[in-house]
Amino acid sequence: MEDYKFLFKVVLVGNAGVGKTCLVRRFTQGLFPPGQGATIGVDFMIKTVEVEGEKIKLQIWDTAGQERFRSITQSYYRSAHALILVYDISCQPTFDCLPDWLREIQEYANSKVLKILVGNKTDRDDREIPTQIGEEFAKQHDMYFLETSAKEAENVERLFYEIAAELIEQARSKEPISQHSRSTADSIGLSSLGSKANYLSQSGCCSSLSSHST
Amino acid sequence: MLDLRSVIGDEDISSAEGIERACATITQKEKEVNERLEAILSRQCQIESKLSGISRSMSTLHSVENDTKSLADRISQTAALAESVSAKVRRLDEARSRVSECQQRVHDLIDLQLCSQGVMTAIREEDYEKGAAHVSRYLSMDQNLLQRTADDVTGSVTSVSKALQTLEEATTKMREIISQKFDEAVRKDDLASVERFFKIFPLLGMHKDGIAKFSSYICQKLEVKAQKELRTSMDVAKAEKRMAVAFADTLTSLLENFARVFKVNQPIIESCYGTGYLLNMYEILQVECDKEVRNLILEFNKNRQIAKRVAQINEYMKSDGGVTLGHFRKPSGGSVDKLNPKDIDSLIGEITIMHSRAELYFRFMKRRVVADLEGSSLEDEDKKAKLSRSENIITKCDLSRQMQELLGTYLLLERYFMEESVLKAIALDTFEQGQQCSSMVDDVFFIIRKSIRRSTSTQSMNGICAVINNAASCFEGDFINALKGPLKNGYPSGYIDLAQAYNAIQSSIQQGKLQTSDAEQARTNFIVQLNNADMSTEFIETLWATMSEEIRGAFANMTQRESEILESCMSGLKGVKDSLKAVVDFGMQQLKSSAIKPRLNPWVDQFLTYNHRLTEEELAAYEAGETFAQFLIVQIDGLLNSFKSVLSPRNYDALVSILATEVTSRLERAIKKSTFNRLGGLVLDQEVRALGTYLTGATSWSVRDKMARLTQIATLLNLEKVSELSEYWNPNENNDMPAWRITPNEVRSILILREDFRIEDIKRVKI
Repeated sequence: MEDYKFLFKVVLVGNAGVGKTCLVRRFTQGLFPPGQGATIGVDFMIKTVEVEGEKIKLQIWDTAGQERFRSITQSYYRSAHALILVYDISCQPTFDCLPDWLREIQEYANSKVLKILVGNKTDRDDREIPTQIGEEFAKQHDMYFLETSAKEAENVERLFYEIAAELIEQARSKEPISQHSRSTADSIGLSSLGSKANYLSQSGCCSSLSSHST
Repeated sequence: MLDLRSVIGDEDISSAEGIERACATITQKEKEVNERLEAILSRQCQIESKLSGISRSMSTLHSVENDTKSLADRISQTAALAESVSAKVRRLDEARSRVSECQQRVHDLIDLQLCSQGVMTAIREEDYEKGAAHVSRYLSMDQNLLQRTADDVTGSVTSVSKALQTLEEATTKMREIISQKFDEAVRKDDLASVERFFKIFPLLGMHKDGIAKFSSYICQKLEVKAQKELRTSMDVAKAEKRMAVAFADTLTSLLENFARVFKVNQPIIESCYGTGYLLNMYEILQVECDKEVRNLILEFNKNRQIAKRVAQINEYMKSDGGVTLGHFRKPSGGSVDKLNPKDIDSLIGEITIMHSRAELYFRFMKRRVVADLEGSSLEDEDKKAKLSRSENIITKCDLSRQMQELLGTYLLLERYFMEESVLKAIALDTFEQGQQCSSMVDDVFFIIRKSIRRSTSTQSMNGICAVINNAASCFEGDFINALKGPLKNGYPSGYIDLAQAYNAIQSSIQQGKLQTSDAEQARTNFIVQLNNADMSTEFIETLWATMSEEIRGAFANMTQRESEILESCMSGLKGVKDSLKAVVDFGMQQLKSSAIKPRLNPWVDQFLTYNHRLTEEELAAYEAGETFAQFLIVQIDGLLNSFKSVLSPRNYDALVSILATEVTSRLERAIKKSTFNRLGGLVLDQEVRALGTYLTGATSWSVRDKMARLTQIATLLNLEKVSELSEYWNPNENNDMPAWRITPNEVRSILILREDFRIEDIKRVKI
């Protein structure tokens, strides 16, 4: 039995070519493989991180962005603890599609799922979407916001560590008693995470991440 | 040399004693020296004999030295000789190889001459094999060398350069002719000629052209065949019973044709062209295959109304106001013109066959191409590049894309089929008499198993995992809601007497009629859903185990990653069990608050109306009549019996457990409100024992634990005198008795209930 206290499923979604696979590779393997082929269906990687002295197993699901894989990727939304919605800051259309993605999330994911908006490719100098625009969009839709560069490894670690920290906090506030009973390595099911409301404080939800990123 | 000083040491030689001592020492030393000298002398003759031996061998050694010297001389002489010989041999060898090279060149030149003469005749005589053989011979010669030879001999023998020129011309001409002839044969659809010229291409150094031309010829043939097949199979299939899988059949034969052509021509290519050329052929064939499949899929989409159906399903799902989690769609109704899941059942089956055929096709092609490349004599780097190119062709080709889209359609249809069928099963839920569960549990599990099983026949791990995910959603959503719905309203305690109500349920169940009253129906429904939920926890485990096994059986060569993904998705399915258990617990709590408590409390409270300070006469009279325990047991038995036959064994056990907890805690409260004398305590102890015996018999597990507190209270109240307590008091567990569940303070307050015990005694007792 592996030694970890929580298992969280993190699912990355977003248009094709925004760098989902690269973000995952950068985080899990420390690589930036150029000329990455399109993901087929879904892929996943596991990384165990330590946050506040707790071992957390992050199961990171990397999904295909292309339309024809939608049926496959949709099926993974429900069991996600956190959804990372990625766009490319140098490509307006990827940003314009965000409302469509939010509709998908609304339809398939648990309503209390932790949502993070990520503007990737900050290393590019042909930026089309100013940070502020992304930030505002995130605020409007109750999402965390962060800009990253998988190529330069900027904010990638922070993205996943903050997600882990947030999810632990949620799990703790949900199950203060059962935490002891669940001392054996076991995943905290989503149902237990999301069933009770108000862990996502409406006012401060955007602040903790986005304030650093500006 | 003996140093006198060192011998006598620091003896004081100024005194007589000192001198004497020194003398003694010297004498001693002298003796020792003498002894040593004697020992040395004794060895003298030994040494002398050895020395004489040595001097004797000296003379022999001299001759050895001489011999050695002469040997060394000879060796060096021989070495010099050998060296000169080997140098000569080397030169000889060099000369020989040059001669043979020269010979080779002469041969080449002769051949060149012959070829140049032969090739033209061959061309004239249309003996292309022979001509090509000449050209091949020419091409196998070192071109640069030939050119140099031609330059070397220029002037003296002009025929060489002339021959070269002729051959070069002939090669070009042959290439043209063969290409032409091949094209002509293709036009005439003369298979023999096509094959004949196909085999000539590699002789002319036109490997790639040959493969390309031949492949496009095959493609042409396949195209015609595929189109014909598509037309005829459509016509034929319509009339026949394989209509449902007509397109799958067509796709199967289409892909089989491509695979067959590939397989048939592989040996020819490998023998005439060598290894490593299969990829070129595959690349060309795949383009054609993509085209044919595209046509087929187009026809399929049109014929099977895929677009319309997909739109219909999407429309329907949207009209539900979004399939939010936990939202229970009404199975019937809605103005949307919706698809009957049954209608798309066979279509889903057809799609899975189509998808699996494509997967098989890719696997076949990949295996062949990779094996061919691995066996080739290409450089490692070149090989690697070609392998990744073949991988690329497979992942990026149109057929892959088409199949990915098809899989998307499949998943949508399968999800719709699964969800709608489950809703239908829930809507058509019926309850048969004598059963504890209703039809929907079996039906729902059957449907979901069918869907998962069908997904394995797509041969796509992505597809299987998605269906498993959808199945888990379906359970967690519609199914759990259907189970939980009736439980939420609680167990209805009706307007009629409850005892009658239970009987009514039983009789209505026995008669298989449920029309009696709404409340009764609701009660039955409650019980049945509770049983359903319980049964489902078992079923989900079985489903998980069998599906895991089946999928692993069907995919023997899963990669580590695929296996992990599958594992994760399957654990999502297993997780449904926890939700089901939560439903059972919820139902049990509802049952407790609405059926157990209201009934049980008045019965137990009857305890208060009994006299617990009995005289001997009263005791006799009490025991003659119906005791409290008898009364309570009869009531509880009636209550439990009404549930025993209708609840599943596990649920029934849970119910007894809940009831035991309720009875004991309520009775404990009633006891604490009463006062007892010695006989009253005796009766209580008997009654608690009777109750314990009854409850133990009512269930398969022990209720002793639940009865522990009550038994101990009864023991306390049954004491002869307070001091007896020490015989029983045992706060810690041991073999004879369970540990006391009552705190010392509670013991005192219970003992006070005995009116004949004195407060001082109770205070004094040591616990």
